[in-house]
Amino acid sequence: MSRDRTVQVRKRRVRRRMAGVAAGIVLVGGGFVAANAASASGTKAATHFAVDKKATGVGAVVSAAHTFLNTLDADQQSATLLDFTQANATAWSNLPCGSSCRVGIQTSTLTDAQLSALKAVLKSALGTGKNSGYDQAVQVLAADDVLNTASSSTGSASGAPTDVPSADPSATAAPTSTDAPTGTPPSGGPGGGGGGGGGYGSGNYYLAFLGTPSKTGTWQLHFGGHHLAVNITYKNGKVAGASPYFVGVEPSSWTDASGTTYAPLNDMRDGMLALTSSLSTAQLAKAKLTETFTDVLLGPDQDGNFPETKEGIKASELSAKQKKLVLAAIHPWIANVDDATAKQLMKTYAKELNETYVAYSGSTSLTSQGDYVRIDGPGVWVEFVCQDGVVYRDKIHYHTVYRDHTRDYGSEFSFS
Amino acid sequence: MITSRNWLTTALRLVAGIAIAVPAALLLGASPAAAHPMPHSVVQLDVYEHSVSVRLELPVDDFTRASGIEVSAKTLTARTAAIRAYLVAHVHPTATDGRTWQVAVGRLGLSRAVQTDTGQYRELVAHAVLTPPSGADLRHFTFGYDAIVHQVVTHTILVTIRQDWAAGKVGGKGTTQVGTIRIDTRTMKIPALTVDLGAGSAWRGFVAMLELGGDHILTGTDHLLFLLILLLPAPLAAGHGRWNGLVGPRKAMARIGRITLAFTAGHSAALAATALGRLDIPAWPVEAFIAASILVGAVHAVRPLFPGREALVAGVFGLGHGMAFSFVLAEMHLSTGQLVTSLLGFNLGIELVQLLLVCLALPSLLVLARLRIQPALRLTGAALTGVAALGWLADRLGLANPVARAADSAGSHTTLLLALLAASAVAAVAWTLLTRRRPPADPVPAL
Repeated sequence: MSRDRTVQVRKRRVRRRMAGVAAGIVLVGGGFVAANAASASGTKAATHFAVDKKATGVGAVVSAAHTFLNTLDADQQSATLLDFTQANATAWSNLPCGSSCRVGIQTSTLTDAQLSALKAVLKSALGTGKNSGYDQAVQVLAADDVLNTASSSTGSASGAPTDVPSADPSATAAPTSTDAPTGTPPSGGPGGGGGGGGGYGSGNYYLAFLGTPSKTGTWQLHFGGHHLAVNITYKNGKVAGASPYFVGVEPSSWTDASGTTYAPLNDMRDGMLALTSSLSTAQLAKAKLTETFTDVLLGPDQDGNFPETKEGIKASELSAKQKKLVLAAIHPWIANVDDATAKQLMKTYAKELNETYVAYSGSTSLTSQGDYVRIDGPGVWVEFVCQDGVVYRDKIHYHTVYRDHTRDYGSEFSFS
Repeated sequence: MITSRNWLTTALRLVAGIAIAVPAALLLGASPAAAHPMPHSVVQLDVYEHSVSVRLELPVDDFTRASGIEVSAKTLTARTAAIRAYLVAHVHPTATDGRTWQVAVGRLGLSRAVQTDTGQYRELVAHAVLTPPSGADLRHFTFGYDAIVHQVVTHTILVTIRQDWAAGKVGGKGTTQVGTIRIDTRTMKIPALTVDLGAGSAWRGFVAMLELGGDHILTGTDHLLFLLILLLPAPLAAGHGRWNGLVGPRKAMARIGRITLAFTAGHSAALAATALGRLDIPAWPVEAFIAASILVGAVHAVRPLFPGREALVAGVFGLGHGMAFSFVLAEMHLSTGQLVTSLLGFNLGIELVQLLLVCLALPSLLVLARLRIQPALRLTGAALTGVAALGWLADRLGLANPVARAADSAGSHTTLLLALLAASAVAAVAWTLLTRRRPPADPVPAL
């Protein structure tokens, strides 16, 4: 009996000791987590950036960028100011994949004051034309809000949950499916806020400065979201590259509550139409590509992969009037950057015009899936393609990209 | 103290690191084709010992654009020959020495699918068998494939593996990506995909089948429920058409052992016979038989139907369960050599997990029988099991119902199930120890 009791007591002691160890583990673990959380949300002060309100040209862009940065807290600043690496520069997409395919601070996380400072940055850096530059970017964001409303009200949103067995099991980043990375990314993300990891809407756009904006250094303005990717690289106070510039739109046109109709890519389309409809039957035959395109060839992740052989009809074979139409056709893309830079770039592309090719696939009417036009020169590369709608299934939508064989990302990277 | 604390922090950091790194890796592992709003093709490989079977999923719109062949549910049969000819012309596996593999395109079908950001679209599903020339290495080859992309140059093809027995990939748990086929825009040519499936071995196949067997019994609620409901009245004595009294732990354990053994013998024999004989048994009668077996077990737990002959019943019904097990193997279309190895591994996995579960259930079974609330617990258990069995029976006979769905989904909560069984086992053991330690209620000695 007494031996039994001794065993019991000993057992009880062992149990108590184990409980103590367990409690210790919990305490130490909790403390560690708490300590980490404290240091992460730290008390680091925001950096103040010098602002020169009288600056012009690139100086004005730098000043606007600094003004925007000054509206941010330290965490927001570090989410916005990133290194000018190839990985950061090429982190853009034409998909509603939110922060899973982009870097920078998310628009939905900003206050109204911060947002208007952000818009001021874009306004100073982008072109002033109607339906190009800043005006076009604003409209593309508005189109995404229209798309967001339409996709949630009709339930025909892309990436809707699927019970079709043959659906691609490896696909990720769908805006609504369960495998989508929703909510705050594990680390390094812009942190908090609505919008999550993907989806449509003007709250799902991201701005980053790759390198610190200055009039002397090298840095990039990196802004975009679904259907928009702005990449403008500055070097020593000059624009070293205004590409890649991806712009698309769905719906291709819409009317808002006040009765105003928007069609932000129609000028681009019309320029291409004017060019192709000027071609004679013989010229069209030369310009026709045998391949079919359901998207742009050099979209995201295709940096530097320009075809080695140019296809289509050479502009040197075109009449003077037609040559002008080629330049007029590419202008809306070049006009995404500030007017002075756009003028410079247009001069360069005009000089290279005779070595520039025009090609098309599908029909020249740009009305149905697979209708495609490309302008490929020693420098310039512009693609315009019609795609079946994703949300507006019975309507066509546009994808376009402007690249430059040598000036993409300010020639900072060699993609070989 | 400092060192132990450091050790702890390191461990915690490690755990936290894994917790972050694993989902991050999963996110970053997104398919490259995900950067594409148009639906891509999927080529799914099932790697066998002597051939590779492929399932091709081709978006119909792009297929028609590329091939010029219009496809609809109405025209599919009429266009079968043309579609097969097109696919044969665009699927070119070659051995590492340059010799071409044989390609045979089999059945075709149409379905609807959704990929990231594409919306719903129609797809053509084609099955084909790729056979290497004699002596060529099946696990290393060049996969030349340009269906659709030869014309629609913005199209991409995702190549994945669904089953590769020799690499331990079995059981339909998703696919792994081998690579992506897309045009090289610089040369406008489509490079072939080099497929390297690694060495592969019978051992990896065996281990995978072992896991699959264990997983199968653990998630297959019906098999487990049958065995447990038969074991439920094992510690009870039958008399006058009802359960009354106990038989003593030794006899109860012997009964449990016999029933388990008989069930094992029954399902193993049927599994081996059906699998090795490659018998093509329709699934629903077998599944219905299993549901019926559970129902019989549930009734027996209420009133003894066959007291003393539980082992025999377990053995006979076990045959049905074994046939159901064989469906898993039949689905895999293995060669005879792989099948024999698989049979061993799969069955061993089933038996090991079954043994574990019975051992976990054993203390509770013995203890519950001695509790005053035993009849109530037994009847509740039998009633729940009976309802599940009826639900399954109706479902297998073609009447889908929420009871069957709920009962099936119970199998997906394996951790909870194991935790409950383990906790009840611990509680039962503790109860036994406590009650035994308490001295028998002997009269207090008068002072």
